[in-house]
Amino acid sequence: MSDTDFDVVIAAYLIPDLAQQDFNALVKLVEDKQLEVEGVALVTVDTDGNASVQETGDHLGRKGAKVGAGVGLVVGLFSPPLLASMVVTGAAGGVVGRFAKHRVESGLGEKMGAALPPGSAGIVAIYDRGKSDTVDATLVNAVKKSIAQVDGGGAKQLKAAVAEAQAGMGG
Amino acid sequence: MTDQMDRTVLPIRRPPFQGVTNRTLGGSEPDWNFVAPIPAPEGAPNVLLVMTDDAGFGNPSTFGGPISTPTLDRLAAGGLKYNRFHTTALCSPTRAALMTGRNHHAVGFGMVGEFAGPFPGYSAMLPKDCEPFVKTLQGNGYSTACFGKWHLTPDHMQGTAGPFDRWPNAVGFDYFWGFLGGESGQFDPVITENNKAVGVPEQEDFYLPDAMADKAIEWLHGVRAHSSDKRWFAYYSTSASHAPHHVTREWSERYKGAFDQGWDRLREETFARQKRLGVIPADAELTPRPDAMPAWDSLDETHKRLYARQMEVYAGYSANVDWNIGRVIDAIEEMGDLDNTLVIYIWGDNGASMEGTLSGTFNELTTMNGVPLTDEQQLQLVLKWGGLEAWGTELMSPHYSAAWAWASNTPFQWGKQVASHLGGTRDPMVVHWPERIKARGGLRSQFTHINDVGPTILEAAGLPQPTHINGVEQQPMHGTSFLYSLDDATAAERHTQQYFEVLGNRGMYKDGWWLSWMMPRIPWKLDPETLKRFAPGVWDPESDPVELYYLPNDFTQARNVADQHPEKVKELQELFWQEAEKYHVLPLLGGLTTFFGITPPLPSQSRFTFYGDVQNVASGMIPPIYNHSYTISAELEIPQSGAEGVIVAEADHLGGFALFVQDGTLKHTYSFVGVQEFRQESRTPLPTGSVNVRMEFAADAPKPATGGEVTLYVNDEPVGGGRIEHTVPARFSAYAGLDIGRDNGMPVDRSYADKSPFAFTGTIKRVVFDVNPHVSEEHERELHEQIHQALAAHAINA
Repeated sequence: MSDTDFDVVIAAYLIPDLAQQDFNALVKLVEDKQLEVEGVALVTVDTDGNASVQETGDHLGRKGAKVGAGVGLVVGLFSPPLLASMVVTGAAGGVVGRFAKHRVESGLGEKMGAALPPGSAGIVAIYDRGKSDTVDATLVNAVKKSIAQVDGGGAKQLKAAVAEAQAGMGG
Repeated sequence: MTDQMDRTVLPIRRPPFQGVTNRTLGGSEPDWNFVAPIPAPEGAPNVLLVMTDDAGFGNPSTFGGPISTPTLDRLAAGGLKYNRFHTTALCSPTRAALMTGRNHHAVGFGMVGEFAGPFPGYSAMLPKDCEPFVKTLQGNGYSTACFGKWHLTPDHMQGTAGPFDRWPNAVGFDYFWGFLGGESGQFDPVITENNKAVGVPEQEDFYLPDAMADKAIEWLHGVRAHSSDKRWFAYYSTSASHAPHHVTREWSERYKGAFDQGWDRLREETFARQKRLGVIPADAELTPRPDAMPAWDSLDETHKRLYARQMEVYAGYSANVDWNIGRVIDAIEEMGDLDNTLVIYIWGDNGASMEGTLSGTFNELTTMNGVPLTDEQQLQLVLKWGGLEAWGTELMSPHYSAAWAWASNTPFQWGKQVASHLGGTRDPMVVHWPERIKARGGLRSQFTHINDVGPTILEAAGLPQPTHINGVEQQPMHGTSFLYSLDDATAAERHTQQYFEVLGNRGMYKDGWWLSWMMPRIPWKLDPETLKRFAPGVWDPESDPVELYYLPNDFTQARNVADQHPEKVKELQELFWQEAEKYHVLPLLGGLTTFFGITPPLPSQSRFTFYGDVQNVASGMIPPIYNHSYTISAELEIPQSGAEGVIVAEADHLGGFALFVQDGTLKHTYSFVGVQEFRQESRTPLPTGSVNVRMEFAADAPKPATGGEVTLYVNDEPVGGGRIEHTVPARFSAYAGLDIGRDNGMPVDRSYADKSPFAFTGTIKRVVFDVNPHVSEEHERELHEQIHQALAAHAINA
């Protein structure tokens, strides 16, 4: 799957528990193998604009899994500093820098920046572009969806960077 | 002395000197009555007149509603509830009828105060031969004060230049503290005190409803401090529950979850409580939901949760008002005045407002400016400005869904603006006067109307309606005192006939019969396509569908009997036209003339100069920069150490503009009613010394909401710029004003919110607006017409 081109969706919610509901539904689809994702994260942004990850799901549909490469990819594209807070090794700075660079060069950062304003909850997911209809139909309670593209090669490099960072090798 | 006074002519002439004057004091005899102030008649009560705003019959707990109103409960228990009391269905018209005791069109208020029109019924100019009854109280020995919303001064007369003859002080109030317009932010009002706009209060945690009670109590204490027995009259006119629905979390949290059942169920619950309380007859029927509103069960979960939050905020906002009124009542009681105080507490100047459209809105100015937003966009904008938690805070200017208004008006049909139906016109009233009312806790069901209040107060005070005031012969009041009803629940009603008309919606009441003649327009629809149907030569008001109700056995207007009584329909239709002619209701839609090509003369002034100390220019009086090219230039002195701060700003982040210096550069921010923000910045630092800065907006075309290019200049050199895709077509704010050298109230650009009001640290010599640099006369005329149409739409919602 790593050579596939991906969509990144940030779905914004007015109601946090409806975000949780859609998150659960999305992860269930993955668990039932009806959908393939690199990773999915449930995030909230407080009224001061500080984002935090509430829950994650990996490519096997496991919730709360440790930050593997796929989940790291999701979180890093959404917010490199958030990834830094989750990858607790001395190598976090390097991986954050690579994600930040990718966001700037791809224009992803600008697009995603305003997707989750203060006071909102959201779901961030990366999935095979061919499954966009399924994802769209599952995130039924979102009031806004911002979608960007990531090519397979770039995603592969970023995942590798996450893996390196977790192993304490990145820099 | 009292008995000898002629109180029919005001001011009361000084009494003849009854003493003796000699060349010296020797042998001279004094007459102390000659220098005594004029007393109120013996036994006259103090009067507290309370009116809340945009609130419905089915809101307060006293009348079966879900909003806790212990003060109204308390007064009702010690006084009387009135369940057939009526307003006009719109803000200013109701206030005009209340203050003058006359029909609203007869005193020029067929429309709201923002819009002075070219016909007698719509002039928004209180006539000198219909002076407010408070002038009579003032001239007869009462101390008088008005707190809160006024809404009877035309927009173009609200500035420092006056004229002031239609401000509260000129029509009988010794003291005024409040706001002149139709609405106000609760956290950032522009306060007017007497004849001066004193601006936005800067104290932390300021909340207008709380401050208003403080001011009223302070004034009452002041009156008693200086006279132990002087009669007083206080008009306590709350900004709540008009939009923006602003309230602290403490109050909205009290209703958390209280509206999760939705509006359909809420109507049923309220209706059941109303019957249990006996405030509606046992045989009353609940009117059905109109097709224009969705069933609660048809909504998705996001909408249900958002809408529930909207009503929680509205309920908290309204409950706070009743609590504050309770504080005022407590103060009156503590002074020992309550027993001889006539309290008239009116819950709403019209029915609850449906002007938020079906979705409700994060910013009511979007509706007022005719900015079309889909339901999805409204949700996204709620998200943008802080989500559900921010609904009710200063980050939004919110108004709830029209369907909540409908529920607030239980058990009736429709709401504000709809003068043809009880949802727009019937509001709760409670009267409390311990020294007079014996049947405490009783209910009164005689037909009563807002224009009855003045005559009632005068009769209670033992005062005649004056024949002349300041040499001007006065027209008789049209209202009928309801004082007779205090003593007798079964007394035959004396106000037996009353027309209703607002925005083409007509009603005719006579002896229990009510003809409803509604213009076929959904009240929140004011788009050009809708209005085309009502253009001259297109609309025939005679052909509008009629409904007929007999209220003595149909309390709620649930059973239309027009088909069974065609002769009664005809009789009431003819009577309506007679009354309409008599009281200047004609031409119908006289307040919407500009929609149909009748616009005021073109303004001659195109340059507006503001010196550096001008603040709080009323939102309706800022330079007319809308919909065409304009420039703002400023002459500054920048010290060697540099400067920062606002050069000029209008309104706030939900609509407005600011030219300011920040981090050494010149910046311009333009907020398109909170939907989009456009920012421009100079590329180079601002120099020091004498500096001229200029912002030029070059419109794409002189047309409503035009986009255009902004260029920033420093000393005539272009230093930056950018594009504004959409501009505000009618009005940035309903209340926030324009300031030079600072940005009072909420900031336009929230990047300097932590430094508000972000006063300029250099010197501003002057700021000049040039509003007519490029437009041809033909374009100007066309534009002029369009802008006034937009303003008319704004005014309807005010």
